[in-house]
Amino acid sequence: MSPADDNSPDQGGDDILAAEYVVGVLPADERRDVAARIERDPGFARLVDGWEVRLSPLAAAYPEVAVPPAVKAAIDRRLFAVPAPTGARPSLWSSLVFWRSLAAAAMVLAAAVAVAYFVAPPSGQSAQRYVASLAPQQSDVHYFVVYDARTQDIGLSHVTGARPEGRDFELWVMEPGKDPVSVGVIPVGQSVHLAVAKALRDRIAAGAVFAISLEPPGGSPTGQPTGPVVASGDLHNV
Amino acid sequence: MTAQDITKLIVRTSMGDRGAFDLLYRQTSAKLFGVCLRILGDRAEAEEALQEVFVKIWTKADRFAVSDLSPISWLAAIARNHAIDRIRARRQPPLDLDAALDVADPTPGPEAAAVAGGEIERIRLCLDELDGDRAAAVRGAYLKGESYAELAERHGVPLNTMRTWLRRSLMKLRECLER
Repeated sequence: MSPADDNSPDQGGDDILAAEYVVGVLPADERRDVAARIERDPGFARLVDGWEVRLSPLAAAYPEVAVPPAVKAAIDRRLFAVPAPTGARPSLWSSLVFWRSLAAAAMVLAAAVAVAYFVAPPSGQSAQRYVASLAPQQSDVHYFVVYDARTQDIGLSHVTGARPEGRDFELWVMEPGKDPVSVGVIPVGQSVHLAVAKALRDRIAAGAVFAISLEPPGGSPTGQPTGPVVASGDLHNV
Repeated sequence: MTAQDITKLIVRTSMGDRGAFDLLYRQTSAKLFGVCLRILGDRAEAEEALQEVFVKIWTKADRFAVSDLSPISWLAAIARNHAIDRIRARRQPPLDLDAALDVADPTPGPEAAAVAGGEIERIRLCLDELDGDRAAAVRGAYLKGESYAELAERHGVPLNTMRTWLRRSLMKLRECLER
């Protein structure tokens, strides 16, 4: 069968290709091509969705089968950070899931920014003040962060989440595709401050991402995060 | 749990709400495992596939908004497509589990009955309008994830013939469903 046969209009063209994809009969290479097309061609994606809708009543025939509990634990390990084996970097830091979940955190932040705006109305130097809501990631740890670029000061307000006995919270600044850089261990307290090292100043600006990881006392021994991320969020201008 | 409840869980999952994701898993994993197991025919592989399916659900939950599918059907479609991708990637032909796992007709489970209503009956009637062999081919391909090559072998016809058959059957089916 040539590709021309596969897609000739008298055979139904795109719509029949969408149907074949949904039924599932295509060989692996053709399925890959169709899946790629779904991603880039919204019109074609609608045809596929139409067939999914048409044939979906057939799926009622699938029985429910109890799932072993280990499966959910494995999913959580894949999706959400767990302490990495010694020496290894947690995959979270390079995980697409993680970066995408920040988009969700950004929505929460929009509300936080609004609050911050009313609490601290912008002054003449408004462009130099930033806020971030570090929302919980597989934890109940939540910090609110205000960064003043003029004074190089990061103020952290502890909202929720106790640090486990014998562990410290460490603050990191992150950019996609680069290694995280430590801002420092977060001091214990309701409202605390961290001074920003000179080398870090250029990296902390609107759009930068802050994340908090759980580390041994005194901070990560390796200079890179070794424990799970417990909170994260991106920085916005106030 | 109603379709509306599952919709809410999917939307909350798309916003990174782990509690909603956990609940969504509790409510739907047995059904999606049924899908994976039916297509893959191997428990260990189905468990592996189910993990990947829920990783996809977590990362792609925002796409639900652009689909016309009911929430459980949308989830089942992710599981089906993933399991089929997996089985196509296998070197060996799938295990023949017809005897152990055959499910001939769509029998609505409670959630499907609530969501699908008369749709199951409707597709059954439309499949009945096709020749017996062809209805079985459509159903078998959909439920078990059979490939054109496997269907051709089973029905003892050349692959091209099988493809022509199935395409015509799908066009007829669409006509009937849209009547």
